[in-house]
Amino acid sequence: MTASALTKMTKVEVVVPGSDAPAVRDLIQSVGATGYTSLSGVSGLGHNGYHQGRLLFNQQAALELIITVVPEPKIEALLTGLRPLLDASSGVMFVSETFVSRPDYFS
Amino acid sequence: MTADPDNRRARLRSDVSLATRVLPTHYPLATFIAVNPLAGLEGMPFEQAIRRAGDLYGMKGTLHESTFREFHREGRITDCDLDRALMQRFPNLRDTPDLVLGGRCVSRLELLRSDLVHGTAAPEPQRRFLTRSEKQAEVVAGKVDAQTAKWCAAFLGAASWPMPGREDGFFAAWRALAPSDRTVPRAARAKLRRTAARADDAALQALSILGVDDDARIGYLQAHLTRMPGWAAHVQWCTGRDAGINMLDYLAMRLTCEAALLDHHRGTDARVIAEVPTGVTSARHRAAHLVELLGHSNVSDAEMAAAARVLTVLPVTAREMLWQNAFENNYRDELLTRLTYSDRPVTATKVHTQLVSCIDTRSEGLRRHLEVLDGYQTLGFAGFFAVAIRFTDLLGGAPSDLCPVLISPSYQVREIADPGAPDAACRRITGMSRLAGAASAFHTAKEGLAAPFSLAEAAGWAAAPLLAAKTLAPSATAAVRQRFVSAVAPESPTMLDLDGIPLDDRALFARVALTTMGLTRGFGRLVVLCGHGSTTENNPYQASLDCGACGGQQGGPNARTAVAIFNQPAVRDRLREMDIDVPADTWFLAAQHDTATDRVELLDTHLAPATHLDEIDRLRTDLAHVGSTLAAERCTMLPGTPRALSTGQAARHVVARASDWAQVYPEWGLAGNAAFIVAPREITRGLDLHRRTFLHSYDADVDPDGEALETILTAPLVVAQWINCQYYFSTVAPEVFGAGTKTIHNVIGKVGVVAGHTGDLRLGLPWQSVSDGKKLLHEPMRLLAVVEAPLDRIDTICDRNPILQRLFGNDWIALAARENPTEQWQRWTHAGWRPWDESHSSEIVYPEEIVQ
Repeated sequence: MTASALTKMTKVEVVVPGSDAPAVRDLIQSVGATGYTSLSGVSGLGHNGYHQGRLLFNQQAALELIITVVPEPKIEALLTGLRPLLDASSGVMFVSETFVSRPDYFS
Repeated sequence: MTADPDNRRARLRSDVSLATRVLPTHYPLATFIAVNPLAGLEGMPFEQAIRRAGDLYGMKGTLHESTFREFHREGRITDCDLDRALMQRFPNLRDTPDLVLGGRCVSRLELLRSDLVHGTAAPEPQRRFLTRSEKQAEVVAGKVDAQTAKWCAAFLGAASWPMPGREDGFFAAWRALAPSDRTVPRAARAKLRRTAARADDAALQALSILGVDDDARIGYLQAHLTRMPGWAAHVQWCTGRDAGINMLDYLAMRLTCEAALLDHHRGTDARVIAEVPTGVTSARHRAAHLVELLGHSNVSDAEMAAAARVLTVLPVTAREMLWQNAFENNYRDELLTRLTYSDRPVTATKVHTQLVSCIDTRSEGLRRHLEVLDGYQTLGFAGFFAVAIRFTDLLGGAPSDLCPVLISPSYQVREIADPGAPDAACRRITGMSRLAGAASAFHTAKEGLAAPFSLAEAAGWAAAPLLAAKTLAPSATAAVRQRFVSAVAPESPTMLDLDGIPLDDRALFARVALTTMGLTRGFGRLVVLCGHGSTTENNPYQASLDCGACGGQQGGPNARTAVAIFNQPAVRDRLREMDIDVPADTWFLAAQHDTATDRVELLDTHLAPATHLDEIDRLRTDLAHVGSTLAAERCTMLPGTPRALSTGQAARHVVARASDWAQVYPEWGLAGNAAFIVAPREITRGLDLHRRTFLHSYDADVDPDGEALETILTAPLVVAQWINCQYYFSTVAPEVFGAGTKTIHNVIGKVGVVAGHTGDLRLGLPWQSVSDGKKLLHEPMRLLAVVEAPLDRIDTICDRNPILQRLFGNDWIALAARENPTEQWQRWTHAGWRPWDESHSSEIVYPEEIVQ
C-alpha cells in the first residue's frame, strides 16, 4: 500500500489520571469521534514526578492513556474541550498527524 | 466566546466536567458506598479545602468552636493539646518575649490559648457561590429547586407510574412535559416551549439569557450544583452508566428553568451578599475582650496594641482548625503511646486456628475477644480477600459486583448446587421463586390504581395483626418468618463455580492475599476467612453497614470464593513454587460475621473434610461465646439497652434490635473510626482499641520490594479514608453531607432518601449513625495511618504514587511510622520524617478574606 492511498487524520493522545478519564472519553464521543483506544495503568516520568503504573487494587489512581483519531473538521472542537480539562489536571496531550487506510471508520 | 457551535458545545461539556469536581458521588442505596464528599478538593490542603467547601456549600468543616470548648471543659482536649497545636502552627512562639499587660507578664502562647478558649465567636460560614435567582429573587431559586426535585424524583425514582417519555432520556422527557406543567406560570411555560432540543444548546441558551460569560461559567455551574448537591451527586453517579441522564442534562434543566422563571419574575426580594465575611471581630477588639475576661487592669494602649498584634496571626476563622488539630493530637498521642509499649501478650505458641477478618473497625472487637481463647491467632485483610468478583447466587437474578469501587470485577463467579444434592437446590429455587412472586404481586397490587382497595379487603385482616406483631414482638415475629421461609424454601448445600478463573490468576490471588497479610508460614489446621455483613430491618442504609471492600455488600461470597481457591491442590502446588508451603492438613473455611447480631456463621462446612469436623465444632462453640461477649460490650453503647445485661441477654438483645423495624440504632457501624494500623498484630494484640481502628496485618520481612505495602496504602487505606471522611463530614456538616434524622426519611425508588415528602436527596449518613441524640458517638477526626515498615520503603511508595502525596501532603491523612518496635514513632512531613512529638509545621499566615 502506498502513502498516497492513505487518508490524513489527526491523532490525539491524552494521558490523565484514571479518575479524569471518563470526562475525556465523554468529550471524545460528544464531538463525534467514532471511537478511542484506552490503555489503563500506564506508568512514566513527567512534570509531576514518576507515576506508578498498574496498581493491584486501584484502577482510579493509575494513569490512563486514551488515543483517538478524528478527521479535520472535528479536531478544533475536541481540542477546545480538552484544553481546559488538562489545564486543571496533571494530564498531558499529544496531537499529531496520522494516516488511516479506511477513513470511513473515523468519520 | 468561541463562535463555532461545536466548539462552544465542547467547551461547555468540559466546563461541566470541571464544575462537577466539587461534588461527591452518591451511590444507590443498595450499594451505598462511603465517599469523601470533598474528594474533588483533595488537591488542596485540608484546611483550604474546607474553607472552599464553606464558600460553596455554606457548611462548617469542623465541629463548632463551642463544642470544642465543651470538650476542653470536660478534659477531652487539654491545655497541653492546645499548646502543642499552637506550637505546631507557630514554631517560633516559645522563643518570643512575653507580653506585659497591666504590669503582669503573659506569654504569647497563653494569650493565644486564652483566645481559643474564651475568644469572641467566629462568624458562621456563608455560601458565596450563588445563582442569579439566589441573588435576585430567593423565591425563584426555591421554585427552581422544587422543579429539580420533582423531575429528578419522577425520572430516577422508579415510580409505579413511569414518567412519560422516560425511555427518551431525562432531558427529552422533561422538555416534552415541562411546558404543560401548570405549577409554572404561563409566561414561563411559553419560554420553556422554546427550549432547544439538545441539552448543551439549551444550557448555552439559558446561560446567555442569565448573562453568565464564559470565564465565570464554571463557578456559576458550581453554584447550581451545590444548591441541591444530593440530586446532583446522584446524577454524577448516573453519568456514564447509560442511565438516561447525565450532568449536562441536569444542568440544562436547572438553567433553563431559572432563565424562564427569573425572566418572568418581577419581585424585589433581592438578597444582598456581603463581599467580605461579616461578623469578623478586629484583633484589637479580641484583645480587649480577653484582657477584660482575664482580669487584667490598667492595660495601656501600647500593651493592648501588642496583644492585638499577637492575635492577628491567628484569625478567628482559623481557630476551629487549631481546635481540630488539638482534638486529634489528644487521641493520636495516646494511641501511639499505647502502641509503643512492648509488654503485649504473646501469640499462643501452638496456633490451631487463624481467623482472617476484614480490616473494618468492627472486626477489632471480634478479634480481641477471640484471641483471649487459647490457640487462636487473628489477622486483618480487606474483606474482599483479593478476589474481585461479579457474583450470581443460586437463585440467579442480577449479579453483584463484590469488590472495592476502586476496581472492576475481574471474573464471574456463580453459586451452583452441590452435585450431591441437586433436589435440595431445586426445592430452594422453587420455594424462593414462589416467595418472591408473592411479594411482587403484593407490592404490585399495593401500588396499582384500584388494586389497593381490593388488596385491603383481601389482606387487611391479616396485615394488621402482622404489623402489630412486628412492632410489639419483633424477634419472635422474625423467628416465625424465618421458620416459614425455611419450610417453603429450605436451605440447600451449594458450592461456587470457579472455572472462569484461570489457575494462574487463582494462584496470583492466593499469593497476593497471603503475602499482603503476612501469613506465609505457621499455618494452623483451620484458616478462617471471615467476611461481614449486617442484618437489619426497615433500614434504607443497610448497605452502609455492610462491607465497604465488597462494594457495600455482604462479604460472604468473597470469603467463599477465596477459600475455594486456597483449598485447591493445584493452587497450593503453585504457592509451594513461590515458597509458600500450606500444609496438607490446613483447611481454609469461610465465615461471615453479622455485625448487628455478632453471630458468626460458618459457610460451606459441608465441603470440609471429616478430619476437620471436630475443629469446626470447637470453632462454632467458641465463636458463639465470643459473639455474646462482644454483644455485651457493644450493648453498653447502644441507646435504649437495659442496664447490666448478662452475655446471654446481650446476645438476645442485639438480635431483637436487628429484627426490630422501628429501631433506628441497630448498630453503630464504623462510628468512632480514627486510625488505620498497618503492622503485625503483635503491636496491637491485647489492647482494647474500642473498635476505632482499621487493622491491616503486614509483615515487612516478607515484603522486601514493598509490593504488598504499596497495595495496602493505595487501596485499603484509600477506602478507609473515604469511610473516615464520610463519617467526619456527616458529623460536622450534617445539614449538607449528612442524611438527617431517619424518622422523617422517605425512600425514593432505589436511589436514596429525602427528608419529608420532597426536596433534595440526602447525602451521607443519617444522624442516628453518628449521634445518639444527646451526644456525638462519632468523634470526627481525620484518619491517622500507623505503619510499621522501613521508612525508606514508605518514601519510595509515596514518591511514585501521587494519590498518597495528596493525602499525606495535604493533611487528609496523618502518617506515623517506625521501622520496628524499638524505634520511636516518626511523622511524615514534606520536609522528611520528624519525631512524632516534635513541631513540624512552618508558620502559616492566614488571609482574613475568604478563599475564593
